[in-house]
Amino acid sequence: MSARDTIFARLKGDAPSKAEADALLIAPERPRVDEAALEAEFLARLALPSISATHDVIDDMAQLPAAVARYLESQNEALTLCMPPDPRLVACDWQGFTLHDRAAPDEAAAIAVARRGIAESGSLIFETGPTAPMLPNFLALHHIVLLRVDDIMPYLEDAPLPGVQPRAHYWITGVSGTTDIEGTYVRGAHGPRFLHVLLLRQ
Amino acid sequence: MSGFKDRADLALADRILKVAVERTAGTAEAKRAVAVDAFPDFEAARDRAAAIKDHVVAHLGAYLEQFEASATAAGAKVHWASTADEACRIVIDICKAAGAKSVARSKSMLGEEIGLPHALAEAGIGRVETDLAEHIIQLADERPSHIIWPAMHKTREQVSALFKAKHRSPHAEETIAAMAESARRELRTQMLGADVGISGANFLIADTGAVCTVTNEGNAELSLVPPRVHIVTAGIEKIVPSMPHAIHMLRMLARSATGAALTQYTTFYTGPKRAGDRDGPEEMHIVLVDNGRTKMREEGLAEMLRCIRCGACMNHCVVFRQIGGHAYGGTYPGPMGAVLTPVFDGLKESRELANACTLNGKCQEVCPVRIPLPTLLRGWREKSWREGLEPTSMRAGLSLWAWVATRPRLYRLGTGMAVRAMRMLGRKGWIDKLPLVGGWTRYRDMPKPAARTFMAQYKKERRS
Ligand code: SF4
Repeated sequence: MSARDTIFARLKGDAPSKAEADALLIAPERPRVDEAALEAEFLARLALPSISATHDVIDDMAQLPAAVARYLESQNEALTLCMPPDPRLVACDWQGFTLHDRAAPDEAAAIAVARRGIAESGSLIFETGPTAPMLPNFLALHHIVLLRVDDIMPYLEDAPLPGVQPRAHYWITGVSGTTDIEGTYVRGAHGPRFLHVLLLRQ
Repeated sequence: MSGFKDRADLALADRILKVAVERTAGTAEAKRAVAVDAFPDFEAARDRAAAIKDHVVAHLGAYLEQFEASATAAGAKVHWASTADEACRIVIDICKAAGAKSVARSKSMLGEEIGLPHALAEAGIGRVETDLAEHIIQLADERPSHIIWPAMHKTREQVSALFKAKHRSPHAEETIAAMAESARRELRTQMLGADVGISGANFLIADTGAVCTVTNEGNAELSLVPPRVHIVTAGIEKIVPSMPHAIHMLRMLARSATGAALTQYTTFYTGPKRAGDRDGPEEMHIVLVDNGRTKMREEGLAEMLRCIRCGACMNHCVVFRQIGGHAYGGTYPGPMGAVLTPVFDGLKESRELANACTLNGKCQEVCPVRIPLPTLLRGWREKSWREGLEPTSMRAGLSLWAWVATRPRLYRLGTGMAVRAMRMLGRKGWIDKLPLVGGWTRYRDMPKPAARTFMAQYKKERRS
C-alpha cells in the first residue's frame, strides 16, 4: 500500500460541510479599524516601532520620480533604482536615474507597486506576475513602495484578490528584522533595512 | 544519550544558560501580554482558533484531498510520507534528480522532526540554514533549543566567538547588529547560489493549494525564490479550509509567539513559476508527512494536532525557563514537547518529561488554540504507570505511601513528625538543604512548613 493509501485509510470520514466551515468565520475577532479614516489608520500602523516605515504623499504619478529622488538623497544613496517593468512605473520620466530591472545581490534600492495596503496591520500586499518580480523586494536595502490611497482596505480579509491566485501572494509588514541573538531586535537581518511608502492620492 | 534528569541537572547548574533563556523568554512573555491586552477579545479568538483546528482535524482526509487537488492543479507535485524516513527519502530523491549540490533551508520544525539535516548530510548535499538562529546552531553543530528562537541558549559572546571562527569576513565591532550584519554577508551569496530551497509550511490552504510561510527575517523568500526547485515538507495537520481561516490563525500566531500583530513577511506560494513570471522556482514539490499524526488522532491526542507551533507554552513554563530546551532531549521542547516527544521517541524513553511538569496550568492558559496540555501530560503519566514503565523505586515509594495514607492514625503521626523535623532545618522561613531530596534543594529552597499539619490545624479550628 502506498503511503498515500495508508494515510487516507486512517482518515476516512465525512466530507466537511461548507456551512460549518463558513460558520467559523462569522464576525471574526480582529483589531478595531475606523473605516471612515482608513488612510490615517494605515499610516498610524506604518509608523509603529515594530514596522517603522517612513512615508511621503504624491498627488499624481508625474510626481513619483521626484519623490523617489527626495528619499534616496535623504538616505545619501545614489539615484540608482531596480524597477520592475510595471507599465505605471515605466511611463514616468526617470531622467537623472540609473535604472535596471534585475536586482543585484547587494541591491541598494528597489521600487514596487503594492496591490493593497491593510489598515489593521499596516501591511503592504503584493502579487507576482510578468511585471512584478518578487526577489528585488527582498534583496534591496531600501524598499520603496507605491500605494494608491484607494487601495487601502481595513482588514487582512481584504488582502486576497478574487479569482485565480498568482504564484505568490505576499504581505510585507515592516522591514527584515531578527531577535535571534539574546532577543535583541536588529533591523535588516537578510532583507530590506528601510521601508518607504509613497502614497498616491490621485 | 543520558537521561532527562542528568540533562536537567547539567542545565540547572549552567548559570549562563539560565540568563540566556530568561532574557528571550521573559521578553516574549511581556510582549505577548501587551499584544493580547490590545486585542479586542482574545479569549473568544482562542475559542475560534481551537474550533477551526478541530473542524479540520475531524475532516482531515477530505481537506487533504482537496488540498492535493488544488495544489496539483496549480502545478505543484504532492508527495505523501507515512514516516520520517520516507519523507527524507522523498526529499533526497528530488534533490538528486535536480542534480542539487546545495540546498538553502528556511527554518522548519517538521524538518528537524524528520531528521532532514542529517539525511542531507548523509546524501552529501550541502545545506545552508538561512534563519539567523538556525545558522548559529548549524555553525555550533547543535540542535534547536526553542521552536521560535532555536539559538535562545546562546549568549552574544558565544555567538561572536562562533562567527569570528567561521565567517569569511566577520564583524569587527562587538554589537549584536554587527554580528547580524556578518551573517547577512555570509549567507546572502550562499542563498542565491543554492540549487534547491526547502521550507516547512505554517499553513496549507485547502481550497487554493497555497503553502503559507511566515518569517521576520525574509529568509524564507530569499531561500525559496531563486533556486530552480522548491520543496515543502509539512505535517498533514497544517491544513486550513481557506484563506480567511488562515488569516484568523495568523492573527493568533504572531501575537502568541512574539507579541507582534503580524510577522514581517507572510507569503502564500501557489505552485511553481507561471508563464511570463520574472522569478520563482520551476518545480514545486510538497511532501505531506504523517509521522504519527494519524495515530495521535486515533489515540486520544487529537487536541495536540491543533498546535500552531507558537512557542507560548514554553515561554511561560517555569520548568522550561529553568532548564532551557536541550534538556528535553527531543525535537520539541517545553510543554508541547513533553506531549509530542513520547509520540516520536517512545514513552519508555521520554516518560520522565511528563513527570517534570508542575501541572501549574500556565501553558494551557496562554495556548492560542486551547490545548489542554496538563491533561495530555497527565494522560502520559497514567499510561506510563499502567504499562509499568515507572522504575521500581517509584512504585515501591508510592505503594508505601498508599499503605500509610490508608491508615489515618499512622499517617497523622508520620506527617506531624516530619513537620517538626523540617522546621528544625529551616532558617528565615526557607530550608536550603533537606536530607534525601538534595536534588530538589540544590538549585532551590524549600519553604519552611507551617507549625502544624493542615489536619492538625483544621481539627484545632473545629474545636475552638
Ligand atoms: S501547544 Fe499551544 S502554546 Fe504551545 S506551541 Fe502549540 S499552539 Fe503554541
